[in-house]
Amino acid sequence: MAAIEMRNIVKEYGDGFKAVNDISLSIADGEFMILVGPSGCGKSTLLRMIVGLEDITSGDMVIGGDRVNEKAPRDRNLSMVFQNYALYPHLTVFENIAFPLRLNKKVTEDEIRRRVKEAADMLELNEHLDRKPANLSGGQRQRVAMGRAIVRQVNAFLFDEPLSNLDAKLRGQMRTEISRMQRRMGTTTVYVTHDQTEAMTLGDRVAVLRRGLLQQVASPRELYEQPVNMFVAGFIGSPPMNFLPAVVSGNRLKLPFLEVDLPAIAADKVTDGQLLIAGIRPEHFEDARMLDAAKRERGAKFRAKVDVTEWLGDSQYAYIPFEANAEVTKQLADLAAELDSEALRTQLIVSIDAMSRLRENHEGEFWADTTRMHLFDPRTGTNLTRDEAAAADLATLEEEELRERMDTSSDPVTP
Amino acid sequence: MKVSRRTQAFWIAGAILIIAYAIIPVIWIISLSFKEGDDITNNQFFPTTWSWENYKTVFASDLFTTALRNSVGMSLIATTISVILATLAAYAISRLEFPGKRLVLGVALAITVFPVIAIATPLFDLWRNIGLYDTWLGLIIPYLSYSLPLAVYVLAAFFREIPWEMEQAAQVDGATAWQAFRRVIVPLATPGVFTAAILTFFAVWNDFVFGITLTSSEAARPVPAALAFFQGASQFSQPTAPIAAAAVVVTIPVVVLVLLFQRKIVAGLTNGAVKG
Repeated sequence: MAAIEMRNIVKEYGDGFKAVNDISLSIADGEFMILVGPSGCGKSTLLRMIVGLEDITSGDMVIGGDRVNEKAPRDRNLSMVFQNYALYPHLTVFENIAFPLRLNKKVTEDEIRRRVKEAADMLELNEHLDRKPANLSGGQRQRVAMGRAIVRQVNAFLFDEPLSNLDAKLRGQMRTEISRMQRRMGTTTVYVTHDQTEAMTLGDRVAVLRRGLLQQVASPRELYEQPVNMFVAGFIGSPPMNFLPAVVSGNRLKLPFLEVDLPAIAADKVTDGQLLIAGIRPEHFEDARMLDAAKRERGAKFRAKVDVTEWLGDSQYAYIPFEANAEVTKQLADLAAELDSEALRTQLIVSIDAMSRLRENHEGEFWADTTRMHLFDPRTGTNLTRDEAAAADLATLEEEELRERMDTSSDPVTP
Repeated sequence: MKVSRRTQAFWIAGAILIIAYAIIPVIWIISLSFKEGDDITNNQFFPTTWSWENYKTVFASDLFTTALRNSVGMSLIATTISVILATLAAYAISRLEFPGKRLVLGVALAITVFPVIAIATPLFDLWRNIGLYDTWLGLIIPYLSYSLPLAVYVLAAFFREIPWEMEQAAQVDGATAWQAFRRVIVPLATPGVFTAAILTFFAVWNDFVFGITLTSSEAARPVPAALAFFQGASQFSQPTAPIAAAAVVVTIPVVVLVLLFQRKIVAGLTNGAVKG
């Protein structure tokens, strides 16, 4: 187990393209760090630089206090689970898991058998030990790949989108399994994914990357509640945050459908008449008729015509189209393209109570929790309403939680 | 997809035609080899009486048995060396970036299409001068120069098919480049290695030009060349039937090899390595 420290890491290709651009990130001992971002953001490249499969153009990679830039992968004592598992097809499950141990001449046959058995127990692979990978299901192959990773005492586990080849149900199960395993073993883990559910549920902290640049490193909660910019705000959350044009008018803010007070925190950062982009998450809306009286005071009510509704049993979404000027529309389209999606029209997605009987193509009354609204500068994307004090509180809480967990798991559970 | 009766009949007829075209000469040789004495002039396809006489003649002759020993020995040595060298070379070509990589492959291909007969005479002179004439080594060297490029070509194609991740996984697991190569890549390339080995073996086994020009005695003469020196039971009869018998005998190992390794060659061993 070891901490991983990255200082100004750059990966530049021959054509001058920087896949990873000046990233500094420190991962504490025992921490579960997620690298997340849309495809092509450099997250996998960064992971491969940690493990040593990719050369580092400049910067320092420090694992457990040693600079490892020039070390071969085998000398870094890390283990990795590949996206396509990369199992050895000519070896049985037992031999696949035993492979890393067999390379070390000092490990005796008894020791190998014991360790493989333990790993297989943990991953419930015991009845498959004599089979070849070709005869296993996707989930089983995934577990074998994990078995191969945990069978040694390593400095850190690295995962490269390990669940992306599984179907949705299995993915959920394996996600919990990975989380449980990491908590139990307390090994530093770096996990690359583009799936934000995985990012939010697994990580102690999440690093959001965009075009090789680090956007924000924070706990999932902080990313969700106090994003530093529009990119992070739009990337985290599903369905994504709604972005609406907002015009400053005195100490009021004019949005489509509604008008609210300008939040105090942003007041001295804007000028009268300036166009901003307001971000409100779908879950901060409600059908006004289904609203608790207690909540009503915190927000504003407005009337709008619903285009389409989606009823999912446990939740319900309503789509409300709106008109926006060309500048905002273009901004939103650019952002959507970067987030691997497509903005076909400017619309508001609101999450309403599943019991609501709102009908399509009818006008309804909605309520929005405007206290949780964020305001972004449309040119830079910076969040003007980020509450640094609240963010710091969240960070402290997260750190305490990690320390507590590390203390309780300090009696080592041998893998 | 449902195939209509007519197309099916067409395919069957076509297949029979092609098989017949290929197999009739083989059956003819086999049939000839069983004709005893003057029976080869019997004007019919099959012998009047089936006899082992020609086979007995063949195995009784020193010419044939030593040639068989030469052929087996040289083929095995040439195949082994060629496959080992080709495996290493093909790995380098498919995995490493080095200047002149395309040139190496290009030259390899050029050599395989170079006419064998063109270098036979110069080699004959050279070998006589440096004492390699009529020796095993004198034949194995030219065999290698022709079979190695072929083997490299076949193996490079196989190595390219093996996912990079296999090797990277091995490296992360703590393997050196050599360990990754020997414990992961080579086992995965087994079908390729077998294919290359069999192709090399055939090429060497069937060689006639080098065999006849670079040898003068039984010391190194392989079977295809030896057949040309075959004499029948008497000096005055054409040894057609015994030659047919000898041809059948030398074909058997080839057929056996193919039948044995057919599966190995066809089977894609990388099955299940990555998500299928």
